[in-house]
Amino acid sequence: MLEMYIYEANTLLEQLEAIVLDAEQLNTFSEDNVNEIFRIMHTIKGSSAMMEFDSLATIAHRIEDMFFIIRDKTIDVVPEEDRPTLFDLVFQAVDFFRTEIAKVEAGQSPDTVIDTFLANINDFILKISGEAPKDAAPAAPAAAPAAESAPAAPASSDVPAPLPSEDGMADFPYELRIFFDEGCGMENLRAFMLVTSVRDFCAESEFLFEPADVENNPSTADQVAEQGFLIRFANSENRDKAISVVRGAGSVRSYQPHDFHPAPAASEKPAEAQAPAASTASAAPKHAAPAAAPAASAASQAQRQKESLISVNLSKLDQLSAIVGEIVITESMVTCSPDLKGLHLDAFAKSARQLRKLTDELQDISMSLRMVPVSNTFQKMNRIVRDMCKKLNKSAKLTMIGEDTEVDKTIVDGIGDTIMHMIRNSMDHGIEETEAERVAAGKDPVGEILLSAQDTGSEVIIQIKDDGQGVNEDVVLKKAIKNGIASADRDYTHKEILNFLMMPGFSTNTDVTEFSGRGVGMDVVKKSVEGLGGTVSIESEFGHGMTTTLRIPLTMAIMDGMEVSVGGSIFTIPIHNIRQSFKMSEADILHDPVDGEMIHIMDEYFPIIRAKDFYALPEGADTIDDGILLWLSSGEHSYCLFVDELLGEQQIVVKPLPSYVNNFDIKDYGITGCSILGDGNISIILDVRNLYNAACGN
Amino acid sequence: MMSTLNSMDVQTDEIVQSETPHEAAAQSAKKYLIFISDDLHFGVDAKYVVEILNNHAITPLPMTPNYVCGIFNMRGQIIPVLDIRQKLGKAPASAPLMVVLTYDGTLVGIMVDSVDQMIEIPDSALLTMPSKNSQRLVSGMCTLPDGSGTMLILDCEQLLGHD
Repeated sequence: MLEMYIYEANTLLEQLEAIVLDAEQLNTFSEDNVNEIFRIMHTIKGSSAMMEFDSLATIAHRIEDMFFIIRDKTIDVVPEEDRPTLFDLVFQAVDFFRTEIAKVEAGQSPDTVIDTFLANINDFILKISGEAPKDAAPAAPAAAPAAESAPAAPASSDVPAPLPSEDGMADFPYELRIFFDEGCGMENLRAFMLVTSVRDFCAESEFLFEPADVENNPSTADQVAEQGFLIRFANSENRDKAISVVRGAGSVRSYQPHDFHPAPAASEKPAEAQAPAASTASAAPKHAAPAAAPAASAASQAQRQKESLISVNLSKLDQLSAIVGEIVITESMVTCSPDLKGLHLDAFAKSARQLRKLTDELQDISMSLRMVPVSNTFQKMNRIVRDMCKKLNKSAKLTMIGEDTEVDKTIVDGIGDTIMHMIRNSMDHGIEETEAERVAAGKDPVGEILLSAQDTGSEVIIQIKDDGQGVNEDVVLKKAIKNGIASADRDYTHKEILNFLMMPGFSTNTDVTEFSGRGVGMDVVKKSVEGLGGTVSIESEFGHGMTTTLRIPLTMAIMDGMEVSVGGSIFTIPIHNIRQSFKMSEADILHDPVDGEMIHIMDEYFPIIRAKDFYALPEGADTIDDGILLWLSSGEHSYCLFVDELLGEQQIVVKPLPSYVNNFDIKDYGITGCSILGDGNISIILDVRNLYNAACGN
Repeated sequence: MMSTLNSMDVQTDEIVQSETPHEAAAQSAKKYLIFISDDLHFGVDAKYVVEILNNHAITPLPMTPNYVCGIFNMRGQIIPVLDIRQKLGKAPASAPLMVVLTYDGTLVGIMVDSVDQMIEIPDSALLTMPSKNSQRLVSGMCTLPDGSGTMLILDCEQLLGHD
């Protein structure tokens, strides 16, 4: 329950933040935006009240009020000069909810002291509402429409009654009265289902319905049963659409369209249109609607496309991928069974091919389950750029490319902080202090940070690029020398100097700011990316900005590997680490004074590591002529590994080593995991970087 | 080697028969699986035993201590295999059988020469080891009811601990 609440609230807050960021760009809220914010706040209010987080419900309630006024009187009610205050207020609200929800998540109870913030909102409401009555709250009964399961949501009781509105009838002349089958029960909910369907094609402001509290007042059922359910529309087209919906709906006995002619009846209290229903249940009728009413789907394109989503515990997905991995292996154990050798089995071979096809599909799907777009992580960066622009008084915009790129969930979670760090770096150190500086350098006064993601099939490349001042290599070198990382009497290449940035404790900014320069810098970025099996590289030209490139494997659970043998042992080397393989003869090997071996390839010298000797294996080729050399590289390390034979490329399921053997620190020797081969044997997965570090020192 | 095994089998039958009446009388007793390694009878609490395997392909794992024989694929689970001979500092010898144990959530296989029998031993019959030195991997001992020798109780916690 609580988990659902937290998940839902966080998702909504992300949506809200995205909307407000967009709106801030345009300096106005569109009607859709207002409706969406209204819906979000309403949902948060409802579920918070249900969870008895009163402070959250109160704030959500007031924000909802605020947007009610804006929706009612359009955004023009907020004068241009007050809009920044409005945006800030909403951002503050987002932050407030986030902190409180984080507290809830950590098992604490949320803050109850919200007076200052509440007062700010109230002031603003008063300001924009002018002489409007103070508690002008919409008739938006809170909580779930699923009234069966939660009959009386606590929040609904303290929501003020609907606003009396005199112009209601004349504006909504097209009535539709619907009667349900006698004795069908739960008439109020059936009526509410219709309202939900109507919302799919008709804007909130264009229809009213009566009784207005069908959503959560079970006593209206009788009224609906006797007098029918009345929906009033502002124009007749919407009513025609509604008629087709009503026709398709179940349990409807009859309906009567009726055009309203200005007449007495004004004493009635037409209800204000309700905000879209609270809680997740609202999603279900919305999706069901197109099926029931084809007319609705045509008109609903204005509505933001919502994906139909469920949330699943990650551990279940892990179990699924593990089992699917097993199936794939078992499948090849069966179809390649040695018992079948030499037999001609046409039917079997056919079925086996079909099975292979299906298991491949199954594997692809189970892998894709864990893939999520990076867009959520990217969206968060908008907020960071915005906040930093304000704080540092710089102007910069964030451009995103390829935010739909999908990456394994664990990796998405792992790169968020890294990207944030890089964006902060770019904002703080990259973008010039003043616009004048930028203009002087012949650049657009508004700085640009480009955040891009690209899927290359085996890895995802994330680039953070700014058009700021770039890296001043002299300063970096001086600092590196001062910190003892570099020596003064040596010449360093462009690349080497940039690499100093990623050394521990290196930060060129001498001042500690709120955002960056806490002494933890790029080295942390580098570490966390490497932890995900990726690499970081920096490019920069002084005066023209800096580009940081993160290369990260798409998933850690499965990879393309080259299987090699050394004696009886089989090792798997990630394909993306392999640059080339070649046969060499003993004569090509160069020796260094400490018995090390090197080889000369493409004008460079690379050390040779003999897998047999390094791992002290009992069998394997000893002379270079009998085996094969694999030229491997990982990050800046490059070397050749000598093995007996290449067995072939294969997609493998990565399995961690048992924790018992991991305690022997074999990871430091480049043994990172294992994989079960088609015949049930195990191959050992090598980590190219750690193998180098262990064998060639560092 | 073969002769030892055969004689053991004969004994097993005898013991099982003689054990049955004894079992009922025993209070607070545990079942032990007795296996033989380097001519010593070891007993391990039956609740830790997952299974006994005889044809298995162990993949050696480099850079581990010599008593780690390697890793083994048991129906998709990767489990480490230990040689208790070498863990006790003795010379390695080929051992044909593997007993898979689970202790505290960790699965581990141990190489043994042969598996003898399942036996129920009352807790009161267990004795502590007389000398500190002999306590390596062993948490207690007892005399086997059939008089066939002495059983040493394998200490799984020590087995899985790191030196």
